[in-house]
Amino acid sequence: MSTPSEANTATTTPGPAASGSTTRPSSEAQSADRPPRRTDPVPNPLPYLLDFYPQEDPKFTRIAPFFVALRKGSFTTTRCDEDGSLHWPPRVACPKCRGEKLSWVELPKRGTVYAFSAVLGGAPLGMEEDVPFVVGLIDLQGAELRLFSRIAHTKHEDCRIGMEVELETFDLPDGRVFFRFRPSAPR
Amino acid sequence: MSGGRRVAVVAGGLSNFGVRSATWSELVQEAGHSAFGAIRNFSPQDVDSLFVGAAQPERLAFQSHVAPMAAELLGFEPSKIIQRTELACASGQSAIRSAYAAISAGLSDVAAVLGVEKMNLPSMAEANTSMADVLDRSWDGVHGATAPPFFAMCAQRHMLEYGTTAEQMAMVSEKNHRFANSNPTAQFYSKTFSREKLLKLPMVAPPLRLGDCSSMTDGAAGLLLVSEELARKYTDTPVWVRGTGQHSHFHNLSGAGSLSSWPGLRAAAQEAFRSARMEPKDIDLAEVHDCFTISEILEYEEIGFCPKGKGGQFVADGRSDLGGEVVVNPRGGLLGCGHPLGATGVAQAVEVLQQLQATVPAARAVKGAERALVHNLSGSANVHSLMIYAREN
Repeated sequence: MSTPSEANTATTTPGPAASGSTTRPSSEAQSADRPPRRTDPVPNPLPYLLDFYPQEDPKFTRIAPFFVALRKGSFTTTRCDEDGSLHWPPRVACPKCRGEKLSWVELPKRGTVYAFSAVLGGAPLGMEEDVPFVVGLIDLQGAELRLFSRIAHTKHEDCRIGMEVELETFDLPDGRVFFRFRPSAPR
Repeated sequence: MSGGRRVAVVAGGLSNFGVRSATWSELVQEAGHSAFGAIRNFSPQDVDSLFVGAAQPERLAFQSHVAPMAAELLGFEPSKIIQRTELACASGQSAIRSAYAAISAGLSDVAAVLGVEKMNLPSMAEANTSMADVLDRSWDGVHGATAPPFFAMCAQRHMLEYGTTAEQMAMVSEKNHRFANSNPTAQFYSKTFSREKLLKLPMVAPPLRLGDCSSMTDGAAGLLLVSEELARKYTDTPVWVRGTGQHSHFHNLSGAGSLSSWPGLRAAAQEAFRSARMEPKDIDLAEVHDCFTISEILEYEEIGFCPKGKGGQFVADGRSDLGGEVVVNPRGGLLGCGHPLGATGVAQAVEVLQQLQATVPAARAVKGAERALVHNLSGSANVHSLMIYAREN
């Protein structure tokens, strides 16, 4: 299968659609810089985020601001006003002190790879066409935060511990936006 | 052990493990027949409580409310406690711990435990998705992670920091497959895996090859636990629960720490040994959660069978094999038996029961075994559950 994500390494945020999207219907008008999509309905559309219904908007979640910011290219999370602890993922109450006064803060978009591997088979539903793909734990630069992410636009053999990566966002065919990392462009 | 009543394991049994031409319900009846079908003085009406360890029946068998379904299939009508326990890969041990707690507290006298999972569907992606959902789905699973890449990262860091090698990991798999070779209920019964063959199998999640990973398996296992005063009604050779420990310290992978150390396991093991008034050197055999080869190596270290960082050398020196100071996974482990999530912890306890009763075939018998440890991890090794059993009360 083709992997459209590999063909769009130079695209900046908001980035290319998820790979495998060529067989999924689009619920939004296509912008000019996106790869062409099939728009005919498929009998069994596959969920990409391992769920069946988008639930990222304020009707369903109190952390909808994360996704609003992500769509604008900002990578954010919550910080507790009481004890100052930085959360990942964003929370509605501080797990440490139970305080409910939280602020949205901007996270660094660059990080270094702490550990990585690749999925060479056995991917979840909706991601089978992405195989092979790289995943890893990433230490954000300048923040006390290590988080797990897809590392797109690279091969396992080309990755190494300590490699610098940067955030990119991408649109999903059902209208959602999500994030992943990719090897950093030279500064 | 803390203050409550003493608890005995008096019987256990298994279905065959593997890619089975059998449904969830059929596996329950197979294990039930094996576990409860030939107990001295036993009637199904004796069972006052039933605990069913089942991780993902909603997705993999399209069925919830499974505990009463299992009760019906086994002819039980529990009047004290009936419930399902879910703790992903440790769902089975979770059921045993619940039965132990209920009997110890005086809420039950005769508790049946059943662990079961049906994992092989026409679409393997269903099970892979269900495994990704064990992680924090919205933030970790969505990146495409299932178990292999997580444990691959643990292996990568352990190799970097302690010099553990792919060959040492293959030695874990070789040992456990050799034991499974003589275990008729194992998924890889009568199959041979040399180290050379294992090191040539395809990569699944680098550095883990196919032989470093346990399988998607269908299977079920049953166990009967009773209070001290009833133990000898059902058997002359009860095995006693002597201690238990558990620890949960993160869920989202942002809290996973170094990956090369599992402090949660260290804490859970210390609690299990404290409650059993034992030390690692007192254990004759251990059934530990070798979902991946690197897991067993980390488990030697964190349980305390060897110093930190020396797990690879421990298996290379044969110290976890027959004749070593602790025989690890004589059943064949998850690598050799397969890993039906809800059944695994119960199947490990059945092996311990049979080892301590000296009824297993000679090829994997731990001669003179008096004390045994069972360990399950679940999810991304974020939860660790342990039990210690002994022939002596």
